[in-house]
Amino acid sequence: MSSFALERDLATQGRVIRALAERALRVQLRRAQFLLPSFLLPLLLLAVVASGTSAAQQLPGFPATGSYVGFVVSGTIMQGTLLAGLMAGIAIAGDIEGGFFDRLLSAPIHRASIVLGRVLGTALIGVVQAILFLAVALLMGADFKGGVVGVLLTIMLAALSASAAAGLGATIALRTGSLSLMQNLFPFVFVLLFTAPAFFPRALLNPVLETISVVNPLSYVVEGMRGALFDSAALGSVWGGFAAGIGSVILTCSLAVWAMRSRVRS
Amino acid sequence: MDSDNRAEADDGFTIVVEGLERIYPGGLRAVDGVDLAVSAGEIYGFLGPNGAGKSTTVRILTTLLRPTGGHARIAGYDVVKQASQVRRSIGVALQEAALDPLMTGRELLQLQGALHGIRRAEAKQRAEELLERVDLVAAADRLLNTYSGGMRRRLDLAMALVHRPSVLFLDEPTTGLDPVSRSSLWTELRKLNDEGTTIFLTTQYLEEAEQLADRVGIIDHGKLVAEGTPQELGRLVGEPGLYVKLIDESQSDSARELLSVHGAVSDRTAGGLTIRTALGARAIAPIVRTLDEAQIEVDAVEVEEPTLDDVFLAVTGHRAEEVDGEETP
Repeated sequence: MSSFALERDLATQGRVIRALAERALRVQLRRAQFLLPSFLLPLLLLAVVASGTSAAQQLPGFPATGSYVGFVVSGTIMQGTLLAGLMAGIAIAGDIEGGFFDRLLSAPIHRASIVLGRVLGTALIGVVQAILFLAVALLMGADFKGGVVGVLLTIMLAALSASAAAGLGATIALRTGSLSLMQNLFPFVFVLLFTAPAFFPRALLNPVLETISVVNPLSYVVEGMRGALFDSAALGSVWGGFAAGIGSVILTCSLAVWAMRSRVRS
Repeated sequence: MDSDNRAEADDGFTIVVEGLERIYPGGLRAVDGVDLAVSAGEIYGFLGPNGAGKSTTVRILTTLLRPTGGHARIAGYDVVKQASQVRRSIGVALQEAALDPLMTGRELLQLQGALHGIRRAEAKQRAEELLERVDLVAAADRLLNTYSGGMRRRLDLAMALVHRPSVLFLDEPTTGLDPVSRSSLWTELRKLNDEGTTIFLTTQYLEEAEQLADRVGIIDHGKLVAEGTPQELGRLVGEPGLYVKLIDESQSDSARELLSVHGAVSDRTAGGLTIRTALGARAIAPIVRTLDEAQIEVDAVEVEEPTLDDVFLAVTGHRAEEVDGEETP
């Protein structure tokens, strides 16, 4: 392919990815059954955790972050982005079962663009979630010492977390094509969440969970958010969070593209 | 080589299918050695009951499914080796108008434009043209879950036309539509064909194939069992029929005996008889005279043109609606 043709192809695929991302964002925000788990449920859990378990910050080993809500909001963002990723998988399975996916496959576009469009749309949802949840935390008394830079870094990590979760959701949806199976994966979101230090510092997890949290990449992302929000390397490494986030995105999106290829080859 | 030159390379045929096969895991032979060729500007009706292999054939021709044997070329491009070029040449409206219910008609048309690499401003303009064409301007900004079946089908057709394809594949485009919506879609398809679009249409409605298609292929159990113009296929049935309805149904036994001298007589529901005779309409007068002499009163006599249903029966040994089953596993 000549460099001009390559440039033109990349521009076309860019337009395709943007259009599919816009569709993902617009349709998900119109879907009431999406808004509940992705936006309301994390906020409810934030309110419950922040008020019901705030005494935890008195425990020895709990880091000093001012308000407890400031500490747990990273977990809330993580929860929201994981659920957004699951919803992305549900949307893909719905497209497959409803036949809309065939419309995408019959268009002259790269198969990877279909996956990347959905992932980008979910990343944008992750950004909206992070902004909303951080604003609510601020209203509830959180004080982020990392300032605007810390907030921006956290939003970027949220986008990475949502992208990785969307890649995973897309992989499962493309492998199975089953809407009902995707809908039954909700509990696994909480397994991923509670095997990372989402609501408690790693030092306060029981030994089994602490061991699992070491291999759960979400641990590093959520700790990276805390490190950014409180400008504290002791709470988590921001760059470690980015490394884990980018690595997870590459891994899950590659798996999704591979699942897509397997699906269209059959 | 451009599309026209490629079509010439296929002797002027836009769709060329040779020995096409699709065997599903488990051994189901959904398409079993189909050969066909469709000329540029033709409407080809692909007729068969559920489970006959129509949709599987269309999915292969539209690059959604790989054949397990044989070859197919669309606008000169191989559906397996040059799938991307095939996708640029074709418009596709698959069964049941798969449209996202949470998008508006305008959004879907613009998305379809983007999927075909059309720039945003041009896609918007094209969407407006197509909304006008399929009479959906007033509903353009409504979510799809408020559209009727006919409106969804019209939008589906418009989406297939966004990139001005030279070949259009329509998989049972009027299934489930009321007669008015069906007729309006037929009008639009004729208009498209007049503009030069080649149309490959699957249907289980015999009337639809008769109304629209220049040529019809009949598929049964994955095999193409007959092909030709509706008139050519009609001749496969044999002699034309005359339907005679009697005022007094109790006289039908006597009538059958008397009319057997004019041709083969068979019973029909609704108290009538059908006489197959090479004379066709010219046999009406002698038949009425024979019955009149025997004082058997005739309510009506109609010439029965052979339908594709009759053709289907003649070539497969069963009626179209008698086959059922899942086409895809």
